[in-house]
Amino acid sequence: MDGRSNRDFEELALPLLDPLFNFACWLSGDSDEARDLVQETFAKGLKAFGSFRSGTNFRAWMFRILRNTFLTSRTGLERRNTSQQDEDGIDEAVVTQETPELELIRRADTELIQGAIAQLPPIFREVVILADIEEMRYQEVADALDIPIGTVMSRLARARKHLRKYILDTLGKKP
Amino acid sequence: MSCDYRRKLELYADGEISASEHQEISAHLSSCPDCGGFLVQLLEMKKTVRIAGHRYSAPMELRTALAQKLRPEKVPGMFWRWGLVASSFAISAMAILFFLPRAERHDPLMSEVVDQHVTTLASLNPMDVVSTDRQTVKPWFEGKLPFSFNLPEVGESSPYKLVGGKVAYLRQDPSAEVVYEVGKHKISVFIFREGSGGPELVREHGLPFTVEHWNEGSVRFCLVTDSNQDDADKLAAMLHEANRR
Repeated sequence: MDGRSNRDFEELALPLLDPLFNFACWLSGDSDEARDLVQETFAKGLKAFGSFRSGTNFRAWMFRILRNTFLTSRTGLERRNTSQQDEDGIDEAVVTQETPELELIRRADTELIQGAIAQLPPIFREVVILADIEEMRYQEVADALDIPIGTVMSRLARARKHLRKYILDTLGKKP
Repeated sequence: MSCDYRRKLELYADGEISASEHQEISAHLSSCPDCGGFLVQLLEMKKTVRIAGHRYSAPMELRTALAQKLRPEKVPGMFWRWGLVASSFAISAMAILFFLPRAERHDPLMSEVVDQHVTTLASLNPMDVVSTDRQTVKPWFEGKLPFSFNLPEVGESSPYKLVGGKVAYLRQDPSAEVVYEVGKHKISVFIFREGSGGPELVREHGLPFTVEHWNEGSVRFCLVTDSNQDDADKLAAMLHEANRR
């Protein structure tokens, strides 16, 4: 790769460092592993940058590299074995309260919300991180995760339902 | 609530619907309190998840290691300047140095400015002077505050839009609260007399909002927003440029 391509990659990739590290931490649950994932993602991205088509979504491309790197790691392989179970199981988390509980949600502090995100099954957590935290469009999320856009929408809806239930259940138990 | 509308409201909240659907849902919301309540709850959830979800920042040694790999001939300090060069604003070398981060410092005043920002977001009439023109907003504060300040020019092409301002009270002293919009987010800029701070930009950590502050002489500028660090950095640079003495 020539110097210019190297610089182009740097200009595109370095602003994504914090979002990628944040995503890696949420995926792996371990900051050391996240650091390795991000380093590997940058190395792979730089190596493959020549094949990246300009005009396509670089952010989704980098998140996709990171996620694929994670899925081939030991933690990621363990996760793959439980993904189908996650997909089948989360529908049991039906919110039974029909009345809005806006005040309870407003009372939720950062720690509680982070706990709610952390307890989501990984395939739902990653959709929430990309759509709600990184504010990606559905198509960008679909590109990053290599899943159909309809799956993004359904997983996001179910993840939010699960988050809401967790928050309401947790705060509802407090006196 | 019908399942159809619940699904559409999620798309509506995510900005993923067509113009015709937007009209349909807006019309429905005006006549359906249940859907209105669901939407407000959904937006509140999205906001709290977005803020809480930005939990981890890349450690300094990772930044340094990556910068060295990408530009082995450069010293690590150049890395910090890179993000600003990439921005669409012309920022001087002074402003770049101004961005060099320094050690974390905690100030109880920060909780007060965050609370004030949240109050502004929740208020139905958040501004005393409503204008996108800095020549209207800045003079409005004259005679109301025991100090002066400048506001930067934000052009039509800028992602930032001036919304207005009001007098806020921090530690029972009057301060200016000037509000900008960037995308869907609001940024409150608090300007008040505070002699103890230095000219370096300080980023507060452990707060639910992005908070940055620095001093221009004896006047402190403090930005609070639920938007990202980059948006705050760029506006801070513009304010710094406008107030350099």
